[in-house]
Amino acid sequence: MSVHKEMTLVTERTSFQELDNVVFKPTESKPTSKWYISMGISLFALSLGVVSLGYTFYYGIGMWGNNNPVGWGFDIINFVFWIGIGHAGTLISAILYLFRQKWRTGIARFAEAMTIFAVMTAGIFPLIHVGRPWLAGYLFPYPNQHNVWVNFNSPLLWDVFAVSTYFLVSFLFWGLGLIPDIANMRERTTSGIKKFFYTILSFGWRNSNRHWQHYEKAYLILAGLSTPLVLSVHTIVSFDFAVSVLPGWHTTIFPPYFVAGAVFSGFGMVATVLIILRKVFDLEHIITKGHLDKMAKILLATGTMVGYAYGMEFFMAWYSGNTFEQFVFINRAFGPYAWSYWIMVACNVGFPQLFWFKKVRNSIPIMMAIVILVNVGMWFERFVIIVTSLHRDFLPASWGMYAPTMYDIGIFIGSFGMFFTFVLLFVRVMPSISLTELKAVLPGSQPSHRHHE
Amino acid sequence: MKKNRETKYWRGLSEYNKSDKFKHAVNLEFENEVETEEEGKSLISRRQFLSFLTASAALTAAGCSNYKDKGDIVPYNKKPEEITVGVPNYYASTCTGCAENCGTLIKTREGRPIKIDGNPDNPVNKGKICSRGQAGIINLYDPDRIKEPLAGDRAGNYAPVTWKSADDKIIQALNSASSTGKEIAIISNTLTSLTFKKILADFKVKYPSANLYTYELAGEKNFINAFKKSYGINNPQGTEFVIPSVKLGEAKVILALESDFLNTGKNRQENIKLFTENREVITKEKFNKLYSVEGNVSLTGLNSDYRIKLKTDAIEEFVLSLLNEFIVKKSSLPAVTKFAGQQGIEQLLSGFELSQFVKKYSLNSETINELVKDLESNQGSVFVSAGFMLSESTHIAVNLLNEVLGASKLFDFANGFFVLQENSTDEEIQKLSGNLKSGNVSVAVVIDSNPVYHFAKEYGFAESLKKLQTSVLLTEFLNETAHVCNYVLPVSNNLESWGDYKVRAGLLSLQQPVIYPLYNTRQRETIFLNWTKNDITDKQDYFLNYLKENWEKNFYPALNSGTSFRDFWTKSLQDGIVVTQDKVNKSLQFVNESFIQNSGKVKSSKDFAVVLCRSYSLGDGKFANNGWLQELPHPVSKMVWDNYAAISVDSAKELGVDSNDLIEIAINGNKISIPVFVQSGMADKTIAIELGYGRTKAGKVGSDKGFNAVELISKTPAISPWLYNNASISKASGTYELISTQEHYPIDQEQYKDIAIKRGIVREATLDEYRKNPGGVIKEKKIDGLNIVQFPSVNEDHQYTGVKWAMAIDLNKCIGCADCTSACNVENNIPVVGKDQVKANREMHWIRIDRYYSGNSSEPRATFMPMLCQHCDLAPCENVCPVAATTHSEDGINGMAYNRCVGTRYCSNNCPYKVRRYNYFNFRNHLADGHYEQDSVSLVHNPEVTVRSRGVMEKCTFCLQRVMGARQNSIATNTPLKGSDVKTACQEACPSNAISFGDMNDEKDALQQFRKHKLSYTVLEEIKVRPNVTYIAKIRNNNGNKNKA
Repeated sequence: MSVHKEMTLVTERTSFQELDNVVFKPTESKPTSKWYISMGISLFALSLGVVSLGYTFYYGIGMWGNNNPVGWGFDIINFVFWIGIGHAGTLISAILYLFRQKWRTGIARFAEAMTIFAVMTAGIFPLIHVGRPWLAGYLFPYPNQHNVWVNFNSPLLWDVFAVSTYFLVSFLFWGLGLIPDIANMRERTTSGIKKFFYTILSFGWRNSNRHWQHYEKAYLILAGLSTPLVLSVHTIVSFDFAVSVLPGWHTTIFPPYFVAGAVFSGFGMVATVLIILRKVFDLEHIITKGHLDKMAKILLATGTMVGYAYGMEFFMAWYSGNTFEQFVFINRAFGPYAWSYWIMVACNVGFPQLFWFKKVRNSIPIMMAIVILVNVGMWFERFVIIVTSLHRDFLPASWGMYAPTMYDIGIFIGSFGMFFTFVLLFVRVMPSISLTELKAVLPGSQPSHRHHE
Repeated sequence: MKKNRETKYWRGLSEYNKSDKFKHAVNLEFENEVETEEEGKSLISRRQFLSFLTASAALTAAGCSNYKDKGDIVPYNKKPEEITVGVPNYYASTCTGCAENCGTLIKTREGRPIKIDGNPDNPVNKGKICSRGQAGIINLYDPDRIKEPLAGDRAGNYAPVTWKSADDKIIQALNSASSTGKEIAIISNTLTSLTFKKILADFKVKYPSANLYTYELAGEKNFINAFKKSYGINNPQGTEFVIPSVKLGEAKVILALESDFLNTGKNRQENIKLFTENREVITKEKFNKLYSVEGNVSLTGLNSDYRIKLKTDAIEEFVLSLLNEFIVKKSSLPAVTKFAGQQGIEQLLSGFELSQFVKKYSLNSETINELVKDLESNQGSVFVSAGFMLSESTHIAVNLLNEVLGASKLFDFANGFFVLQENSTDEEIQKLSGNLKSGNVSVAVVIDSNPVYHFAKEYGFAESLKKLQTSVLLTEFLNETAHVCNYVLPVSNNLESWGDYKVRAGLLSLQQPVIYPLYNTRQRETIFLNWTKNDITDKQDYFLNYLKENWEKNFYPALNSGTSFRDFWTKSLQDGIVVTQDKVNKSLQFVNESFIQNSGKVKSSKDFAVVLCRSYSLGDGKFANNGWLQELPHPVSKMVWDNYAAISVDSAKELGVDSNDLIEIAINGNKISIPVFVQSGMADKTIAIELGYGRTKAGKVGSDKGFNAVELISKTPAISPWLYNNASISKASGTYELISTQEHYPIDQEQYKDIAIKRGIVREATLDEYRKNPGGVIKEKKIDGLNIVQFPSVNEDHQYTGVKWAMAIDLNKCIGCADCTSACNVENNIPVVGKDQVKANREMHWIRIDRYYSGNSSEPRATFMPMLCQHCDLAPCENVCPVAATTHSEDGINGMAYNRCVGTRYCSNNCPYKVRRYNYFNFRNHLADGHYEQDSVSLVHNPEVTVRSRGVMEKCTFCLQRVMGARQNSIATNTPLKGSDVKTACQEACPSNAISFGDMNDEKDALQQFRKHKLSYTVLEEIKVRPNVTYIAKIRNNNGNKNKA
C-alpha cells in the first residue's frame, strides 16, 4: 500500500513555546528600524494619495484623466485590481480549509488580513470615483423622502452589495480565527493597555473544550459562507462590464475569467508580501519553500486559465462575426494601446509558464520577480479591459485617447500606501500566523497511531 | 398600624429627631440643585449651557451658506405690464454681427434676453441665423465689456472718465481740426444703417474736414468691383446701388470655384436654404448637382457631388479654359453667339485649351467632361459662384462664364444686394494711412471696428493712431485699437440699441433694444449726434426720437402704408422688417471690354499658394472673446480655439512636416509662423489659413488664441489680398498643439478605411442607384433570416400610448455647419470648457456633428451626421445607473434627474453613441479664472434649464423644457398635444431644415414621412437599443467612385 506523504509544513522541530515566541515577537518587541522605514514609505505613499484625493474632492473628477469616451480610468482599474487581490485570502482560508489543505495554515491568517485590507482599499474607489462623493449615500437603498429607490438593475449596485457582504463575511471570518491567538496574547502580555484590548477582542476565550467545539463549528460555517463569495464577488465585479453593451465588455466569459484572474492576482500579491515577511520576521521555517512552491503551482494554473480566456476572447470575436467585437480586439493587440496588451500577456501568461520548472519555483529571487510581474500584469489586464474597450467603441467620431494625470498616479500610489500601512500595523499588533492551527500541524503534534513507523 | 410604622423606621438621625431641616426637605418636591460652587458665583448652569449651545449652533447655521443657494428671489413689487413671470416675450430686431444684417427674433424672460433666433418674417433669412448670431448673446453679458468711458494712456492703462468730459475734449478737438482744415478720419466697417449714414452726413456738414472710410477684413471687394466693371455700373462714390442676388433654388447645376457659399460666403443663410431645398427625397425627389473646384477644403466642397481639387491660383486658368471650350469651340449654347467671334475675347481665350488644362493639373477628365456636359445641357439653370478671395480678373471671367451659360436668367433684382455705401477703395485706404502718418489727420474716430488688427503692419495704423493728438474708439470691448487710442467710448450692445438697416433691395430691417443698457454706454449714433449738436444729456431715447423723426420724414411718406405713422412704426417694429418697392435697374449688359482688359492675368505658379479664408466662428475677429464660438468645432477639421495652416498630405511630406509642426510662411517680406494641419483633400502646394484669429487684446477668453494671418496681407498684392502664389514655406522649429473634437485616424489604412460606411453608421448611395432600387439602399441586417431589429424581446415592452417624441434627421440636407450645436449651447446653458479640456475629450456639446471621411486621404468624400442623444426605447444608460438618475418618461424621452445623479459615469460608458456629457469640473469656474461664473453671465442662462453642477452627467433632453411648455399649454387651452407643437432648439436653428421633431405615435404627424421613408434607418440598430432618432440616408448626385483619372 503506497502511502501518500504530505509535505512537511514546519521544517524545524519547534516547541510550542518557541513557536509562540517567534510568532508573537513582532507584537511584543520594539519595532525595528526596517519596520519604521517601511512604515515611513507607506505613510508617505498614503499621504500622496490623500493629497491627490483632496484636490479631486475640491476641484472635481476633472483632475483625473477620465474623459468622454473613457469614463472610467484608474479609479475602476484600481478598484478591480484591489478586489482581485483580496480573493487569494478567502480562497486560502475558506476553500483550502474546506478541502483540508493543511499547508494553508502557515499563510492563511496573513492572506486573510490582506483580503480585509485589499477590500478596504478597493472599497474606497467606488466611493471616490463618483462625481459628487458627498451624495454617495444614494447608492444604498434606504427609505427616503425623495421616494426614490436604487436601481436594482444596475451592476454597480450589485457591486455595493457584493463588496460590503464580502467585507463583512471576511472580517468576521478573520476575527473569529483570531480569537484563540488573541487570548494567548492576552495571557502573555504585560502591558495594561494591550491587555485591555486583547481582553475585549478575545471575547472571554478560556481554551475550554466547549469553546473549541463552538469555535470549530463557527469556523467551518463561516468557511462555508465565504466559499461562494470567492466566486461571486468577482463574478459581480465582472458584471459591471459584462452587462454593458460595449464590445470588449459584453462577454459571457467574463465571470470565470475574472475569478481566475482574481485568484491569480491575489496569489501574486500574497506571495510578494510573504516572501518579504518570512525574511524580515525569520519565519522561513514556518512559511517554507514548500508553501511557495504550492503557491507557484496555483499561479501557474490560474495564469494559464487567464491565458485561455485571452485566447478565447479573440476566438469569439472572430467566430461571432461581429465587426465591432473584431475591431476592439484587433485594436487591443495592435492599436495605440498595444503596449499595455502585450505587457498584460507577457506578465500574466508568459512569465508564469516558468513555474513549470521546479528550479524556478524553488528560487526565491526568480519567484519574487515573477510574482511582481504578475501584479503588474493583472493591473494592466484591468487597464486593457477598461481603457482599450472604451477608447474606440461604436462610432469612430467619438473615439478618443486616455492618459492618466499625476492625481491618478498619486491616488494609485496612495492605495498601495493604505494597503501597506494596514499590513504593517497588522504585523505589529496581531499574530500574523495562526498559531492555533500551526501547532496542530507541527511535526509530531498529530495523534499518531504508529501506522507509518 | 400606619402610625406605628412611621415611628418605627427612620432614615437618619434628622428624621429621628424630626429636625426643622428635615421637615422642610420633606415638603419640597425636588431637591435643590446640586451646587458645585458657592452661590452667587457666575458659573454657567446646565440650562444656560444648553441655551448657549443652541444659540451658537443656530448662529453658526445661520452664518453658513448653502452651496445651492444663489441668493434671494424677490418678486416684482409692481409687476411690469408686459412681463408675466415665467412667460417669455419675443421681439423682432436686426443682428449687427456682420454686414449681412439678418433679421432676429429675441426671446426675453423677465426682461433679459436669453436667446436669439432668426426672424421668421424676414424674407431673406427666414427664421434662421448663423452661429455667431446665436452665440453672440453672451457678448451682451460678457464681463469684459467696457462699462464706462475710458481715457487711455496708450500703454494699456485706462482711467474712467465721464461722458461729459470725454465729449467736451473730443468736440474741442473736432472743432480745432475743422478750423485748421486738418482731416477728421472716421473709420468703420461696412455701413449698412440708413439713419446712421444720415447722421454721418450731418456730422460732415458740421465738421467739413471729416471723411468716412469703411472697410472689411475679408470683404466682397473683388466681387463687387468685378461686377461693376462687367456690367458697367458707374455710380459715384458713396451712392447706393444694387447687385442682383441669385435664385439659387432654380439652379440645377452649381459650380463653386473656391467658393464656400454654404458657410462663409456672402448671403449664407439664404444660400443654404435655397441649395438644400433642392436636395429633397422626402416629399418629392429633387436634386441639384454641385461641382466644387477648390484648393482649400471648404464645407461647400465637402457637400459637393464632385469635388475637384485644384490649386487656387489656377482657377482663373480653369475658368478661361471652360470659356474656351464654350466660346472658341462654338458650343451650342445660345448665349455663345453673343461672344463667339469677338476678336478680343477669342484672342484672350486662344491659349487656354481645356484638355491641356486637365492634363497639366492631372484632373479627372471624365469628371471635367461631365461638368462641361452638365453646364451645357442645363444652360439657363446653371450658376457659377466664385470665392471672395479670387482676384477681380477671375471674378470678371466668372461673370462672363455665367453670361455664356445663361446664368443671368437667375439674377434676382428685386431681392438684390443693396450697397448703401461702397467700402473705400484700396487707394483711399492707402491715402488714409499716408495722411495719418504725415500728420494731415488730427482726429481719428474708429467706429466699432479694429483697424490696428485688421490691417497689415505695413499700413502703420498702430503707430500713427498712437501719435495722433486725438484718437477715439467706439467699442464694446477693449481691443488692439483701444490700446493706441486716448479715448475709448463704450457703445451699447446690439441688444441694447435702436437702428435701421438696408442690405437688400425692397427690404428695411429694424433694430430695437430688448434690454436697457446694462452699463453706462451709448449707442454710436447717439455719440455722433451729440458731437454734431452738442445738446444731449444721457437720455437713451434721444436717438430713438431722431430715428422716428427720420423715418416719418424720409421713408414713411413714400411707403403709402395707409396708416398713421404711429401705427406704422409700431407694426414695423413688431415685424422687424418693412417691405418696400424699390426701383431697380433690371437689365444688365455684359461689357466685353471688362473681360478683355482685365482677365487672363493670373497665372499659376510653381510656388506655394496661400489662401486666406474667412473664419465661420470668429468672423473678422470680432467674436474672438466669445467662448461658445471659440469652442464651436470647425465644420471641416473639427478644430477648436485655433486656426492653422491647412496643407495637403503630399505637400506636408514634401516639406517634411506633420500636423502640429510650426512652419514659417513668407510672402513679400511678411512672415508668420503657424502650426500645420494636414488636411485630407487639400490641393497640393496650397495652404489655407483662416483670418480672425491671433487677437492679442481680445479679452480674457479670446486673447492669444490662434495665429494672426492678417500679417500676410500685402498692401499691394499681385493677385488679391487673400490669395498669393509666391509664398516661401519653411519648416520652423517647434510645435504647437492643435486640438480637435474628433480623433484623426489614418483613413487610408484598411482597418479604418470607410469605417463609418462599413459599420452602417452612415448609409449612402448615388442618385442612380437610389432611382433604380429605392429600397435597396438600406440593407436590413439579418441573422438566420430574421431582421435584427425585429428579434423578439426577452421582456415585455413598455407600451407608449400617448404622445411619443421622436426626431428625424435628413442627411441629404445637413451640410454640417454646426448651427444646431450653437443653438443648443444657448438654449441649454452649456458651459465652455476651454482648449485644455477639449484636449482631454471633455467638450460638453449635446449635439455634435460627426464628420466621416470615405475614399482616400487625397480625395476624401465626407458625410456629416448630427449626433445627439437617441432617446433609445431600451436605453442602455438607464439600466446601469445605480441610483436611477436617468430614466424614461411616459412620452419616450430619456431624462436625466440631475439632483439624483452622483456621477458614476457608467451611463456614459454604456452609451453606444457616446453622447452623454459629464461635468468633470465646474467648467464655468474652470475657464479663464471663472470668467463665465461672474454675475453678469448668469443672466444669459435659460431659466427653464438647470445649470448643472460639477460631477453631474448631462445630455440632450429633446428640449424637455419646450416639451413641457407645450404640454402645459395644451392643458391650459384644453387642446390635445400635437407633435408640431414643439420645436427643439436645434430644429429651429437648422438653416436647411434637416431636423424634424414630432410625435411618432401620431399617424398624421409630419414625422411619419421620414420614419416610413425607404431611406430611413437608425444608427447601430443591430445592438437593439431602439433609438428614436431616424436618419435619412445620403444620396449623392454623382456616379459614385467610377470616374477614373
